[in-house]
Amino acid sequence: MNAPFFKFDYFGEETSLIVAFIIGIGFGFFLERAGFGSGRKLAAQFYLTDLTVFKVMFTAVITAMVGLFWLSVLGLVDLSLVYVSNTFLVPQIVGGLILGVGFVIGGYCPGTSCVAASTGKYDGMIYLLGIIAGIFAFGEAFPLLKDFYTSTAMGKVTLPQLFGISYGLVVFLVILMALGGFVGAEWVEKKFSVKSGGVRK
Amino acid sequence: MKTLKLSLHQSLALVAGLLGIFAIVAGNPYKGNTATMNVKELCLLVERETDHISVDELADWIIKGKADFRLIDVRSEKEFAEYHIPTAENIPVGSLFDAELMRNEKLLLYSEGGIHAAQAWFILKAQQYKNVFILRDGLAEWKDRILFPSISDSATAEVKQAFEKRKVVSKYFGGTPITGASEVSQTKQLAIPKIQMPSGSPAPTGTTKKKKKEGC
Amino acid sequence: MKTLTLNGPVDDTAEAVHDRIEQPAARYWNPYVAGIGLGLVLLASFVIMGRGLGASGAFTSLVSVGVNAVAPEHATSNGFFSEYLGDGKHNPLKDWLVFEVLGVIVGGFFSGILAHRVKGTVEKGERISTGKRFLLAFLGGGIMGFGAKLARGCTSGQALTGGALLSLGSWAFMLSVFAGGYAVAYFFRRQWQ
Repeated sequence: MNAPFFKFDYFGEETSLIVAFIIGIGFGFFLERAGFGSGRKLAAQFYLTDLTVFKVMFTAVITAMVGLFWLSVLGLVDLSLVYVSNTFLVPQIVGGLILGVGFVIGGYCPGTSCVAASTGKYDGMIYLLGIIAGIFAFGEAFPLLKDFYTSTAMGKVTLPQLFGISYGLVVFLVILMALGGFVGAEWVEKKFSVKSGGVRK
Repeated sequence: MKTLKLSLHQSLALVAGLLGIFAIVAGNPYKGNTATMNVKELCLLVERETDHISVDELADWIIKGKADFRLIDVRSEKEFAEYHIPTAENIPVGSLFDAELMRNEKLLLYSEGGIHAAQAWFILKAQQYKNVFILRDGLAEWKDRILFPSISDSATAEVKQAFEKRKVVSKYFGGTPITGASEVSQTKQLAIPKIQMPSGSPAPTGTTKKKKKEGC
Repeated sequence: MKTLTLNGPVDDTAEAVHDRIEQPAARYWNPYVAGIGLGLVLLASFVIMGRGLGASGAFTSLVSVGVNAVAPEHATSNGFFSEYLGDGKHNPLKDWLVFEVLGVIVGGFFSGILAHRVKGTVEKGERISTGKRFLLAFLGGGIMGFGAKLARGCTSGQALTGGALLSLGSWAFMLSVFAGGYAVAYFFRRQWQ
């Protein structure tokens, strides 16, 4: 098997758009199933009453990470052909902080707001307009931000490279961390939902 | 005997834990640096010479603004800075795999004479790159035929007529056509044109990359 | 027939009320199961396309096309918009992420229908007015859009995709998102409680 299929020319640009649509359907489906169409459920992550965001996100990360690792080790996927975006450390940290603030205020992130809007949440639709305004503002401010935006460019850096340990060991450590996190999340949830009078669903 | 009963969460955690533990000893997932190749297929490819592009063809493509290929200069950065064929981008052989070349792109390689380009061709072919081409006889031929075409005074009328066309192409790329065999010896002193797209060219892609992001 | 109204007024015919009572919104899936599903979709994207998921990029294409339509010269002179507009040979909206996000909208709707969760509502706590909630949603979206562009991606493109690929920037980003969220959560608690 030569994977990633697209990189080996199994199908062209046009077909890739159909693939994108189908993958998107799967993405949207599971986001909705997890309850990510609800701003209250998403925001509850930051009030510790419902840690679904953490649980779903890290489960997804380790599923894909472990799957990709094993498929690569077995020679079924060429990992070097999977696109890893470049690291720009400081802009990404600052951007992440800003994004976290937006998350609490708005209640969604770009992907989940699409699901919220399509399941009839009016605030989700307005949130989408907000994103568009925010991106427009960024674009307009880009000449001023350009130097910062391109600062601390580190290229493609992965955690195994950074720590100088094997990829498999990082995979193990991430799983360990996630499992520990899940146990902690269940405990926190129980504690805080009792305090605030039951879990809001 | 007591049967061990696990909840859904416990069994999922167990699976994840096991996959993680074995991951430590599973080895390196990056297998991209080693390659297996079909040598017979490569031999046939070499024999057929379908992967050669002549300098005349390339000149024609650049003039017409053809943009469906990437012209790659595999020489060193220093040599590249001195002169390169317009629209070329510099990827020295050593950094061939840092350059994010796509396996489905049309890549045209050139070096000074052609040896480095041919070696890079082989490396890329071994990595399953589909459309890799070599500029026949490299930059040397480009200089001889495109930048500084020469003609002897004793040439036939037919050759002279063809040379008129070559002169136009040469001027387009900022070169100097040479008439009269006696002047050929002066070729070395002729000025190498400045690196810039010739005026009036349709698509000055230059060396700047216009790669689309794949991220979010 | 049951009608599911998205934007219009709530259907209050006896039949519809009966349907709503008889088919209450299903419970959300176990988060770990949903997470595995999400992870498998991401894995499929890696295996089939050699790339991960995203969302904010699609909106950037949309914004760039919009700006280009209103003020073409302004758009092409701006390094940010022009990158998304490309070389002019391709329609910027014929983009992988744009189609993926269209799929997300359809997939979310599909799942919502199956679980009887598609309903015109506003997600907010009880102590805040709808108007205020809309204002905050717009504001939050704006902040999110700005931050996502600065970080070169959002929760899908950076946290999920980059996280699974063990990219340093993505992990730094992911931790920052949680840090930023927890830092200001207290000040906006009235919106959600």
